[in-house]
Amino acid sequence: MPWYLYLALKQLFPSGKRLSFFTAISILGVALGVATLVVTNSVMGGFGYEIRRMIIDTQGEVQIRARSLIENPSEVAAAVSKVPGVVGVTPYAQGVGMLEYGRKPAFPLIQGVDVNRVNDVIPLRRFIRAGSLDDLDDDTVILSSQLAESLGARIGGTVTISSPLLIERLKNDEVFLPRELVVAGIFEIGHQQLDSNTVLVTLRRMQDLYGLGESVHGFNVKIAPGLDADTVAARINAALSAYSEMRAFSWLDANSEFLFVIQMEKNLVSILLLFIILVASFSIMSSLLTTVVRKTREIGLLGALGGRPGQIAACFCVQGFLIGVLGTSGGLALGFGFLHVRNDVLLLFTKLTGSQATLERFYQFSNVPAHIESVDLVVIIAGTIVISTLAGIFPAWRASRLNPVEALRNE
Amino acid sequence: MSEIILEACGLHKTYLSGERRLGVLRDVSLSVEDGESVSIRGESGSGKSTLLHLLAGLDAPDSGRVAWAGRPDTGAVRRARFLGMVFQSFYLIPELDALANVLMAARVAGPVGAEERRRARDLLARVGLDQRSHHLPAQLSGGERQRVAVARALMNSPRLILADEPTGNLDEKTGDSIINLLLGLCTEQGIALVLVTHNASHAARTARTLFMHDGKLQTLQTP
Repeated sequence: MPWYLYLALKQLFPSGKRLSFFTAISILGVALGVATLVVTNSVMGGFGYEIRRMIIDTQGEVQIRARSLIENPSEVAAAVSKVPGVVGVTPYAQGVGMLEYGRKPAFPLIQGVDVNRVNDVIPLRRFIRAGSLDDLDDDTVILSSQLAESLGARIGGTVTISSPLLIERLKNDEVFLPRELVVAGIFEIGHQQLDSNTVLVTLRRMQDLYGLGESVHGFNVKIAPGLDADTVAARINAALSAYSEMRAFSWLDANSEFLFVIQMEKNLVSILLLFIILVASFSIMSSLLTTVVRKTREIGLLGALGGRPGQIAACFCVQGFLIGVLGTSGGLALGFGFLHVRNDVLLLFTKLTGSQATLERFYQFSNVPAHIESVDLVVIIAGTIVISTLAGIFPAWRASRLNPVEALRNE
Repeated sequence: MSEIILEACGLHKTYLSGERRLGVLRDVSLSVEDGESVSIRGESGSGKSTLLHLLAGLDAPDSGRVAWAGRPDTGAVRRARFLGMVFQSFYLIPELDALANVLMAARVAGPVGAEERRRARDLLARVGLDQRSHHLPAQLSGGERQRVAVARALMNSPRLILADEPTGNLDEKTGDSIINLLLGLCTEQGIALVLVTHNASHAARTARTLFMHDGKLQTLQTP
């Protein structure tokens, strides 16, 4: 081992002594910075990841919409199914309606799904918490969990659903009776907005409620794993060129502004938190400069023993690097440790402050999501180690510039 | 005739003190033969340490030249193997134990293996510290620290040792034992020694004593 590396290790971890106070503070500073970056990046990334997952799970990777009703859904579905990369197509119709249970009204989004094909695109079965998706037919309904809870609706209970068609018909002196549907299931996606205000019915029931006939509002499309959603959406648009009123949007395209805001928030927070690492790097620099001053005579001695200025500089650079490596390792352990217990911490916090409902309302999720991209992790690790090493460069330069004679005379 | 191991010719050195230029060394010439011991005495501020730093290649003269074994290369790489130094303040590295401090000289000069470790342990035994090789400098007395420094100076089997008042921080008895040790080991291993000291009795034990006065070197005694 080169002597400057050996000495750097010995100065950081002296034989038979504890870690020096300055070194410990420097390592702790870096560790706290890295831990904060990891936790924040993971949680911000987790929100983004959950939102993306939720969008895909509830809409498919590609959505086909039309300016007007799609009157020939079978023909369109057949055309879309032939597009390379498409593995599933399911039609949908949706709209707001009035739902009543035990004289309690609600105005949920009613989603009509094709029970035979919806599972090819949207993993609805995964979200069923009570009852069964197999029990969904034209006389039944599946409620979202929070809507069922707020209404007090249970499996087997009967709800009535009316649509704006009721008013339309009344204008023409016609009677359109609300439909009575039995609750066949309760689902929960994990997104507060969807879980509090969504109702699933069959596509036929929705067409009946909105008077759509055979028409639908659009299609959700699933694509083969690993394919780019934008590419497949472009292929679908090419295949549907004969239908000028229709257009396929990838989930990225359809939610681009929302996704941009999420990404922007994550990037801004990361940039702000980078200042923690910068502050920690000043702590490293200050610690190493103090070491240079304290060890001036030893630096002179190293010169007298035959140490070259570059080697003396390397000794201090290595110390900055090692502080960075140790701080980063500690920070990763601390950060991932905290992420492991994040939900327990949140539960404790919300219990103490009585703010669970508020948190769910504003943040949409009942648990704190966490997801960190490997590239983000690499940037955090590499960035921190580089900044820490750079923090060692100025003290190293100072040490290498010391004249051995002056250094040996230093008292 | 023995090889000239150290030769200094016409050394001049001045330092700036404010706007005044102080002449510290004036036309100093010196030669030391292989295995010879030479002491340099003189008043404080007479330029002894400055001369030693020039002889060690740690500082450059304003004029004149220094050569080791006939070669003017006094750079860091050659210094690591050619020269050993002992200082008044020991300058041990506090984070390293006695053995590691001795080995540090070998580490700076090149890779350290079993042979170097064995030699370091032998040297510590020679200076009477084989039982204290794993003690940190803070756990050693002043005399013991200087013994470690002597062992370190001998570690790379140098041709020349420069000792700058090695007994200056020690009591008389300990200082005597250090000088005995230093002179004994240098004689035994055929190493040339230049000893800067205030102590007349220590100087008298070297083969030749020079006196530094007002930046000039004078011969006092030639046995």
